[in-house]
Amino acid sequence: MIKRPQEISSLKANFFVIWSEVVKNMKFLMAYPVIFVFWTIFPFFWFIPFIFQGEAIVGGLQSASFAEIAGTPEYIPFVIIGAILNGYVLTSLYGVGESIRREAYRGTLDYLLSSPCNKAFILIGKAVSESINSTVYAIIQLVVCIIFFGIELTLGVIIPIILILILMILGLYGIALMLAALSLRFKQAHDLGHTLENVFLIFAPVRYPLQSLPFWAQIIGKLLPLTYALIAVRSLMLLKQDFPAVYEQIFLLFVIDVIAIFFGFYLFNWMEKRTRKSGAISQY
Amino acid sequence: MKKIEEETRGLEEVLCPIGLSLTNLKAELRAIWECNIKEWKIELAYPISFIRQSIQPLIVLLPILVYGIALIGGRFSETLMQLVGTGDVITYTFTGYMIMGFIGTAVWAMGFSIRKEQWYGTLESIYVTPTSRLSLILGMALHSVVHQSIGTAFEFAVIYAVFGLVLKIEGILPALVIFALMMLALGGFGIFISSLALIFKEGWIISEGFHSILMLLSPVAYPLTVLPNIAQQASTLFPTAPALVGMRSFLIENYTPEILGNIFLHLLVLDAAWILFGILIFYLTDSYVRKRGTLGKY
Repeated sequence: MIKRPQEISSLKANFFVIWSEVVKNMKFLMAYPVIFVFWTIFPFFWFIPFIFQGEAIVGGLQSASFAEIAGTPEYIPFVIIGAILNGYVLTSLYGVGESIRREAYRGTLDYLLSSPCNKAFILIGKAVSESINSTVYAIIQLVVCIIFFGIELTLGVIIPIILILILMILGLYGIALMLAALSLRFKQAHDLGHTLENVFLIFAPVRYPLQSLPFWAQIIGKLLPLTYALIAVRSLMLLKQDFPAVYEQIFLLFVIDVIAIFFGFYLFNWMEKRTRKSGAISQY
Repeated sequence: MKKIEEETRGLEEVLCPIGLSLTNLKAELRAIWECNIKEWKIELAYPISFIRQSIQPLIVLLPILVYGIALIGGRFSETLMQLVGTGDVITYTFTGYMIMGFIGTAVWAMGFSIRKEQWYGTLESIYVTPTSRLSLILGMALHSVVHQSIGTAFEFAVIYAVFGLVLKIEGILPALVIFALMMLALGGFGIFISSLALIFKEGWIISEGFHSILMLLSPVAYPLTVLPNIAQQASTLFPTAPALVGMRSFLIENYTPEILGNIFLHLLVLDAAWILFGILIFYLTDSYVRKRGTLGKY
């Protein structure tokens, strides 16, 4: 027998919302298997040009100038780790941020927002399913890179890396919530997502160390969760440092997460109320 | 019958020009122009989109330049000098990305145009108009080329002001001729991609997929000589490799081309091949999709 909404506890109801979103998004993914193939294969095409560029201007697989600022002369593993973690940025920004826009395109946004549940949990559902997808893609890419590009991964660093990834994903959720809130108001989530993606690519140490940037740009970089996650993961994987060496990065990542999630929830709820009042929810 | 006559009374019969005639050419050019105007109206309705796309070429280029500088600790590379005769990483990379932006134009604007119309729910409506389907795609491509040109001009201004560029002014005219030849072939390539999007529906994957492959096979930030042999040979099938090499030969001092032979002839052959191939595949997929009745599906 199906219980009435008021008979279900709020925790259970919210979990059900998240679960339903995950199932729905998985069904969409299964309906378009080419999307799965794309996100598994094409990230390689995005970082391989950087390897060729490195070879063309350095003339080898190691760079002394790079070692001075990155702590390691091997730029290929540096770029690969950056690319794999940046994959989470892409999927969270487009997956979560643009999901609202996609619902508007499909004509289902009105129904979603008029349902008797906390709308932020719908977004969390979308974010969770995107994270599951991203993790599957990241694992496949990592395995390929271990086999073909000589990336080393010791068992001892796996648990700390998982912890760092979870913290990074939480921070990205917060940012994605803000993006979803803005897309309710300004509609063009794709453009906002693209802009944010570029902010991450320029200011976070995805392809080069933070020290390569001017001082003012480094400050912007230090506001992004991806920056701390990349520094911590590279310290563990490339520089072979112990876990205590990255405590500071993990603490700062945690602080950014709290701020981003709190502000993301607040902004989304505020913007949703405002948009509903204005009657412009399903406009695009 | 009487009812139909009553309903159509007073309506003016319009004769659409068909076949190879000057009137038809004028009509198709008008359709291309109107499509371009429609795209501009949609885009300017979203100012964020316009601004983002105008600064996009610069923003894409910046991390690549910083990466290059981080690797060699400056802007001059001895290794690059040995490979192509110039060691200036900034000028070399800038000239590559300046042109590559237009590849995105071809594959995204043309490949994605069909899908966009599907999303808007207007694909079937525009398909039943007596206009050539290619004119609709070329109209969207025209909008995108103009847009990319705005972005490239902004990119050039900022990079010139911040880093300084060493380019040969007298090489601009021949470089533009090469650029025009490349755009013709890319037009054919774009038409081919848009026909794939008709079948596979997920146009963005087709566009991004081909864009990524072209980026890899083109000497944008590295010379062709660092690619494996098979990739070097594959790159000659696309117009970007000879165009980039040719344009750099005219624009950069002491540049040693890594492709031998007549670049102009190479591009002319690719123009003819890609345009014919693109149009052929487009008409085949167009009739296939319409026969199956899957035009509006996604």
